[in-house]
Amino acid sequence: MEPTGRNELVDRLSLWRRSEPRLLAGVAGGIADRVGVPAVYVRAAFVTLTTVWGIGILLYLLIWWLTLDHQASPFVRELETGQRVGLAVTFVALLWLMVASGFVPDPFATFVTAAISFGIASVLDRSESGGIARLIMPGETQGVSVFRFIAGVVLLMVGLGLFFGTNRVTSSLGSTFIAVALTAIGLMVAFGPWFVRMRDDLGKERLARARQEERAEMAAHLHDSVLQTLALIQRTDDPRRMSSLARTQERELRTWLFGKAPLEEGELLSTALAAAAARVEDERAAAIDLVTVGDARLDSRSSALVAAATEAMVNAVTHSGSDRVSVYLEVDEGRAEVWITDQGNGFDRARVGRDRKGLAESIERRIARQGGTAAISSRPGEGTEVHLVLPGVESVTK
Amino acid sequence: MIRLYLVDDHRLFLAGVRSELEDRAEIVGTATDVDDAIEGIRETAPHVVLIDVHMPGGGGVAVIRAIAETNPDVRFLALSVSDEAEDVIAMIRSGARGYVTKTIAADELAEAIERVHAGDAVFSPRLAGFVLDAFSGGQAIELDHDLDQLTAREREVLRLIARGFAYKQVASRLNLSVKTVESHVSAVLRKLQLSNRHELARWASDRRIV
Repeated sequence: MEPTGRNELVDRLSLWRRSEPRLLAGVAGGIADRVGVPAVYVRAAFVTLTTVWGIGILLYLLIWWLTLDHQASPFVRELETGQRVGLAVTFVALLWLMVASGFVPDPFATFVTAAISFGIASVLDRSESGGIARLIMPGETQGVSVFRFIAGVVLLMVGLGLFFGTNRVTSSLGSTFIAVALTAIGLMVAFGPWFVRMRDDLGKERLARARQEERAEMAAHLHDSVLQTLALIQRTDDPRRMSSLARTQERELRTWLFGKAPLEEGELLSTALAAAAARVEDERAAAIDLVTVGDARLDSRSSALVAAATEAMVNAVTHSGSDRVSVYLEVDEGRAEVWITDQGNGFDRARVGRDRKGLAESIERRIARQGGTAAISSRPGEGTEVHLVLPGVESVTK
Repeated sequence: MIRLYLVDDHRLFLAGVRSELEDRAEIVGTATDVDDAIEGIRETAPHVVLIDVHMPGGGGVAVIRAIAETNPDVRFLALSVSDEAEDVIAMIRSGARGYVTKTIAADELAEAIERVHAGDAVFSPRLAGFVLDAFSGGQAIELDHDLDQLTAREREVLRLIARGFAYKQVASRLNLSVKTVESHVSAVLRKLQLSNRHELARWASDRRIV
């Protein structure tokens, strides 16, 4: 649970983190979309502020905490050039004010960082050029504005010049390191944007391909199952067969659409019982309503329970004269119970021939061998109910 | 005659139910999406609305909530192919008085509609199973509240419904009157709608209705 104070603040600010494209958490991107400037400048501002007692990093973390989850930004504003200039002036004034009030520990480092980071930002900025750039280069419509590019390079040169022009920096760093760092920065500025674009295109392509494959799989499945069944139904005259086909298809499609992934370690009693009920439905053209509460792992003992229940289902659909059988499984504290109920003719146990092995062998003895019990109650005209109990199963909680 | 309104985004199914129920209820209107349904129900003021769970534009839950504000007397019976417990519980918690699956026979459907009209709850075997499942695992901590647990009798009634028995058969097996069975089921419905049990709350919050 998060404190409500934070939630209220988040609601009031309604700032989002940007999901794509982003560098870290998408904080700068979110602010950029909200304010209406390219994200590179916001990042530059964060970097600059980091030189002042690390405010940049703290601010970044604070805003990260106060923003809502990644999301494609709800709206993206575009600022007028005048507003952009105003924003830049405000930022510079703010820095100046902090320097003047003695708040900045190392004004030199701050200004060098500002020059370098904003210089890089304006070189990297690929958004459409604003009014001033158009005044200078009237034909330009997109890409890096020459004005901005020149301004960026000048800033960079001033910043780097200041940085390396002072002995105290150069002497503390090895010249090899500086050379490597400079090469890296140069490569990044030159090829960075191109690399990012390549990566984005690749991602989009991969997504498109995944979607296409999914659609193809869906089409294949529908063809193999649903269309085939519909064709079969059209060629069938027997209404029982028709509804049996429809029911099988419905069950298959439902498993495919809403199906739960099987447990990693072994099968479940409920799924085994569902599969058994499905087989009986298909073979005997009857409807079996299965309801399960709780679940257990399938082992040799609970498999015997499934086998006995299956026999009871087959008996019900074969002899009851009713085409609907209800099966209810309940597992509670290591005890599994299954009821197989039909609303059919019912029978008198005493009048069932001794040669009919179904009831005695398949149901009662099978369950008894596993330490369980089977109770069969039926009266002519009132349907039949088989109640199976198997203690000592391994309950599974979801 | 019960004034019935049908909401389902499958026209074929709508037509099927319509022809099955035409001589047992007065069908005052049908709708295939959420907005039409809200408008139509407000206009025709039916007794009972038979409503699909999944529909474009917010599903049955959106309709139930909108109508509850303006026409609290209208009763809802959810009818769906969905096997997902979340969907079913969400419908019940937003105010539906019952849930039946689309494979229900016409006679049973007509009976369920009458029952909902009379203010009783309608539990299909599947819904009874969901409720038993959601209220099982008695080791939950906050069980001291009445709303968070089922009485032994309610459990018995639900178990018999889950086993496929009609209310009348449940009554005779437990030596109760049908009215008593109905009142047990209504009590369970009330618990289902008001309980704060965390399983239910989680189900509901997954569907963003709390």
